[in-house]
Amino acid sequence: MTGQKVPRRMRLGLSVASVGYHYIAWRLPEVSAIGSMDLQHHIRAAELAERGKMDFLFLADWASLLNLDDPRIARDCEHAQLKMDPTLVVSALATMTERVGFMPTASTTYNHPYNFARRMATIDHISGGRLGWNMVTGFNPEEALNFNHDKPVPSDARHARAGEFVQVMNGLFDSWDADALVRDKAGGIFFEYDKVHTLAHKGTHFSVLGPLDVPRPPQGRIPIITAGVSDNAMELAAQFADMSYGGQPNIEAARKYYDTVKGKLAKYGRSHDDMLMMPGIQCYLGRTQAEAEDKFARIQDLLLPRVGIGHLLLNHFPDLTGLKLDEPVPNLSMTNDMMEHRISGREPEMTLALIKRANDEKLTLRQLFDVMMCGFWSLGVIGTPKIVADMMEEWFTTGAADGFNIQPPWMPQGAEDFVSMVIPELQRRGLFRTEYEGKTLRENLGLKPVPSQYARGAAMAAE
Amino acid sequence: MAKRRIHLGLSVGSVGYHYSAWRHPDVPAGGAMDFAHYRRLAKLAEAGLFDLMFVADTASVRMLDKPESARNRIHDHVRHEPFALMAALSAITTHVGLLPTVSATYAEPYNTARAVGALDHLSRGRAAWNVVTGFCNYEAQNYGLDALPSAQTRYARAAEFIGVVNALFDSWDDNAVVRDKASGLFFDRTKMHLLKHRGEFFKVKGPLDLPPTPQRRPPLVCAGTSEESQELAAKYADMVYAGKVTLADAREYYASVKGRMARHGRRPEELLILPGVMVYVGRTRQEAQDKFDRLQDLLTDEQGLGLLMAYGLPDYSGYDLGGPVPDLPAGKEQFGQYVSEALATAKRDGMSVRQLYRMIGGGFWSLRAIGSAADIADMMEEWVHVRAADGFIFQPPCLPIAVEDFVALVVPELQRRGVYPMAYMQGTLRERLGLDRAVSRHAQVAAE
Repeated sequence: MTGQKVPRRMRLGLSVASVGYHYIAWRLPEVSAIGSMDLQHHIRAAELAERGKMDFLFLADWASLLNLDDPRIARDCEHAQLKMDPTLVVSALATMTERVGFMPTASTTYNHPYNFARRMATIDHISGGRLGWNMVTGFNPEEALNFNHDKPVPSDARHARAGEFVQVMNGLFDSWDADALVRDKAGGIFFEYDKVHTLAHKGTHFSVLGPLDVPRPPQGRIPIITAGVSDNAMELAAQFADMSYGGQPNIEAARKYYDTVKGKLAKYGRSHDDMLMMPGIQCYLGRTQAEAEDKFARIQDLLLPRVGIGHLLLNHFPDLTGLKLDEPVPNLSMTNDMMEHRISGREPEMTLALIKRANDEKLTLRQLFDVMMCGFWSLGVIGTPKIVADMMEEWFTTGAADGFNIQPPWMPQGAEDFVSMVIPELQRRGLFRTEYEGKTLRENLGLKPVPSQYARGAAMAAE
Repeated sequence: MAKRRIHLGLSVGSVGYHYSAWRHPDVPAGGAMDFAHYRRLAKLAEAGLFDLMFVADTASVRMLDKPESARNRIHDHVRHEPFALMAALSAITTHVGLLPTVSATYAEPYNTARAVGALDHLSRGRAAWNVVTGFCNYEAQNYGLDALPSAQTRYARAAEFIGVVNALFDSWDDNAVVRDKASGLFFDRTKMHLLKHRGEFFKVKGPLDLPPTPQRRPPLVCAGTSEESQELAAKYADMVYAGKVTLADAREYYASVKGRMARHGRRPEELLILPGVMVYVGRTRQEAQDKFDRLQDLLTDEQGLGLLMAYGLPDYSGYDLGGPVPDLPAGKEQFGQYVSEALATAKRDGMSVRQLYRMIGGGFWSLRAIGSAADIADMMEEWVHVRAADGFIFQPPCLPIAVEDFVALVVPELQRRGVYPMAYMQGTLRERLGLDRAVSRHAQVAAE
């Protein structure tokens, strides 16, 4: 029988950082500055994602404030530094929604796998199998200082721990066979003795007896998304992640990243389709090009120069304090002190490209801010729904992306614009679903079910 | 003298405190893992004007090394992680306080401050937190330890843990997060406080990455009768979950904990003592007794013998279950204090093995009240009047039916007597509990 081949469809996440990806989104009159501390704000975002049939709502997180010791970095003008633990936000949202998935961020360095596994398994139960996880290792040096460290934890140590963390978590998820909890009232048997498994993990970073005190999550395995372009991050992704949240500003870089990460899968016994590449995209949408450009100009006008200059510093630029907005920036070169201190996770290649552009095109400071705020570290588009859809289609069909994380510059309008303007266009082109295919996030993402390791063992033994 | 108001918490762990709860025909045996069960309980809690919903916790599946019969007849092996559960409940409730449990032995203070703080924001000022220190090796072994640390170590860590979390709650002055759209200043660094804590157990720089929460310092609950636990409660707690089962012991405990508070610069009114109580209520005493007997009768010999073994008592199978408890050497595990007391009582009173397991299965560690609504209200009023309690944590024998009974019968009786509110008071949980507004330590320093 030759079945109809299911067309390849884009995966879409709605990625929310507080009230928007633009650092000063909160200054817009229509944006609630309290926003991210209010459950209603998050409900609105989840409902928009669900209305757009998007795969998941993604919530960024880190357990600290950033750059407090450097007065040149104006974090005190940004809304995203203060935030709620996203695992708890999505647990609340799970009760208010039906279909959309959730992708809260949590770090492997500052959590314990037993604590984390039980929270995640619980939320997967509460949501009926709609939970995912943005796995981070917590590269911000400030986080380490909130968790008993005197200095930042080196990348190698963080990634080694992360690998063990995921294995322990997944092992704990398998503690209870699906049919272990018989709850036989008449016979008085609550669970079957030989269907619950003790992990007895003894590793380098953790020693965990098990079993988990939560039954196997509905999805069996929680889908994992992860980002990062370092070798360590890419290896971790290739080994354990189901999705990669890339940050490439152009299609050439995205294709290279796509091939590099997917190329690593085989050595971990995984196939090309086991990983969905989902770069971030930030778009300013208008029914006309002029309308879109006005939107962008309107928020850029609110960007205080010290905020912009601080972010350039974070991206290894020299200090441009004192420069007028419409003055061309002087000939630039990357500074070394930022590189050494690694105060940013950004890759220097992007900075080099931007510096070259600034020098070649004699950009003014204002123009440099414009480039930085849209299209510097992820795909940025200012335009009509057709332009955005064209670009997404090109990335999707030419080996640069399997889907996208939509980063609205401000909430909720950025998400509303995308859902009402771009998604219908993608649906018309047959690139995106018109109905959710499955009940769980895994099913909607088209990821293979993962049987319990004990079920697999039993199946092999029976062969 | 005005009657003292009674505060009530509702403990919603699993499907109930009676060991047979899950076998009762009207109890959803899988309720502990079904959020719809908790939705229903939340509705009942708010209908009954409970101050808070509480969930106890231990991060382990216990009794792994016991014989099969000792563990697979017990229903509280699987559960919701408390903070995820309470966050979910925050979205579907409007009045009731939300009290998750966290172990200071296995959690990080920064993560805990974030979680309690987020719950307070999500619920608009209804969060509380119950700090425990762990009690079993099974849990310790999930966290890289061979065995439970000593009480001294656990309580020292808990005290530092609570101190750090409270200090993190004071990271921001009330007016620090200005969100001034005109100037572009979101928060004022000069009103932010770094902790730079370096203690025996933790190093935490701070600040907390969360604005001050509606309550600033969500109420803290502690439990325990040991010297260490009473000191901890007297110094830090806003509520104590108490476990004395006789009026005399409860009064003594009440006086003991409150008597320690002055040494920590606190007034006795700043702490509420809430004993746990398992209530069986009926329209008549007989009906209430029948409800208790019905659950007791659901305990089979097999389940009862398993239960005894689960608590570290010997395996009495093969002996005459109707005869006196045989003298057998105990297992390797040291008896808990409660179990030792139960065994001593059984021997003293010449109980049979069957009577012993029924005593344990019926919740021997809890204060138990069986009677009409008037009986239950009498007991509660008396305990509160003679200062053995400021209220109670209701431990329902089986869910949700025991809560339905309580809300239908006991709550109206307490209201009639003028010791229980007729509607929820507006405001935060702290305000509803009659606790003082939490003032930042930095504001206090500035005022002095």
